[in-house]
Amino acid sequence: MTEAAGVALATQGLAKRYGSRVALDGLDLRVPTGVVYGFLGPNGAGKTTTMRILTGLVHADAGQVELLGRPFGRGDRRRLFGVGALIETPSFYPFLSGRENLRALAATGAPTPASRVDELLSLVNLRDRASDRVSGYSLGMKQRLGIAGALLSDPQLLLLDEPANGLDPAGIAGMRDTLRALAAAGKTVFVSSHILSEVQQLADVVGIIARGRLVREGRIEQLLREEGSVRVRVSPGELPAAGGTLEAVAGPGNVRAETGPEGGWLEVRIDPDRAAELNQALASTGVFASRIEVGTNLEELFLELTGTGRDLGAPPAPGAAPGSVPPPVVPGWPL
Amino acid sequence: MRLLRANLRKLRRRPATWVTFLLLVALHALIVFFVVVGSKAAADPQAALAARQFLTFPTAYELIISLVIGIGGLLGVTYGAAIAGSEWAWGTLKSAVARGESRTRYTLLGYGAVAIYTFLGLVGAFLAGVLVSALGALVVGVRLDGMGDTDALLRLPEQFARAGFAMAMNAAFGFAIATVTRSQLAGIGVGIGLFFAEGVAGIFAPHVIKFFPFAAAGAVVSGGSGGSTVVNGTELGATLDANTAILVTAAWLVVSLLVACLWTERAEISG
Repeated sequence: MTEAAGVALATQGLAKRYGSRVALDGLDLRVPTGVVYGFLGPNGAGKTTTMRILTGLVHADAGQVELLGRPFGRGDRRRLFGVGALIETPSFYPFLSGRENLRALAATGAPTPASRVDELLSLVNLRDRASDRVSGYSLGMKQRLGIAGALLSDPQLLLLDEPANGLDPAGIAGMRDTLRALAAAGKTVFVSSHILSEVQQLADVVGIIARGRLVREGRIEQLLREEGSVRVRVSPGELPAAGGTLEAVAGPGNVRAETGPEGGWLEVRIDPDRAAELNQALASTGVFASRIEVGTNLEELFLELTGTGRDLGAPPAPGAAPGSVPPPVVPGWPL
Repeated sequence: MRLLRANLRKLRRRPATWVTFLLLVALHALIVFFVVVGSKAAADPQAALAARQFLTFPTAYELIISLVIGIGGLLGVTYGAAIAGSEWAWGTLKSAVARGESRTRYTLLGYGAVAIYTFLGLVGAFLAGVLVSALGALVVGVRLDGMGDTDALLRLPEQFARAGFAMAMNAAFGFAIATVTRSQLAGIGVGIGLFFAEGVAGIFAPHVIKFFPFAAAGAVVSGGSGGSTVVNGTELGATLDANTAILVTAAWLVVSLLVACLWTERAEISG
């Protein structure tokens, strides 16, 4: 399925149904070794099901999984000795302390040296509270303890489901540094997250899934370049002329006007590195841009690829009647 | 062995372990208290004498074990259910499986720790019961000479072995129920429900119910006669003979553990 070397995790045609509901519908993933891989998808897209299959908690109906270059299926539980995981919410015995919980966890699966527990408690900054019962921990502390638990066996592959849940900004920054350091040391980190700005800062490669299938996978900068856009603001009277000029550069159908409270914006689907070319083209026709903004962020890319809208919608436009439906943020407007 | 040791450490710190043990001792103390009060207040000399059996050694030894098993059988079911159910409810089984731990090994060693603590609880409750009965004897003025009766003391190891075996089966039964229901509360509730349902059903179908888990466990401890009790022509109770009871109890123990292991092995773990 893979060339083994250089691929820490791969799936092919992974399928899973829960009754009549399709959770995974032929998922193909390919996670290179030594990267932080952001695994993104809307609620119900199949992220957690994938994580569960990768850790042997549930079994796929069809498809293949490779972990650390070797096939993984029923009866291959020892393959997980090289994998650390934090799936969904961190799970602990509430009546035990943080240290005792890690010791209890260390007694399962791969043999783990006793010294590793205190080492990890220091790493996740829980040394001072290590003797307190977990029932008294905050969500963020439990999350940090969960990350420590995932690192117990010094895994080559780390699977983390929403690791930033409940962490304060300092905790998120610390987690990011730790995960980046692990990747720099040659380990592979597979992170599922809803915090897209966090993934954009953390991940080298992302895979985006929707309805149980992979819709895009690749290095973040490459995806953003391919899916990038440039926003150009001109005076409202010059919109038609500017639109034609920009379309000549970017290609037919790649320019649309934005409506909304702030008029005069054109969105151009083009590699953001070509923003100067657009500016030059406008200037050559005597139209001058008052503002140019480049780039697409991961959130916009995610919403576009997964076909999901903003759940809570945009705030109502000024003057809109109470209860009226706000206009779409970037509706198509043919030129 | 490291997993069994870790399980024993966990259970030592677990409130359910101590609550179950203290409940057993407290109920025994309460019964002895009523025996003391009853033996002093009873107008009927026969009733007073019967009540004093609890305080008179060496007879009291066997009665204490029977009492511990009578109450402890039910507590064993709830304890086994509490430990197994919490592994699902708290998601700790999930963490272990995701680390590559064998589901069957995890289940069996989890049960192993429960069985060890159940036996320790039985011994502890017996010793506490002896102490409470001895105090009761001092209160009502019964002599303690019989405590050193050699024959009675030599019979204790066999009685402990039988009682420990019966309680281990009860705990396995609760363990299996909670594994199937994946819940502490459901496991405890179903365990208690079955305990009492079996007792009631025993009135109507004694020859069938004597093969059921709690009745068989009871016969193991009491060294059942294999006969039945008939009152006014109505058969009220039947027990297995001691050897059959051991076989039937062993079968329930094995089936319970098999169910728990198979269920855990095949389960799709979430939460």
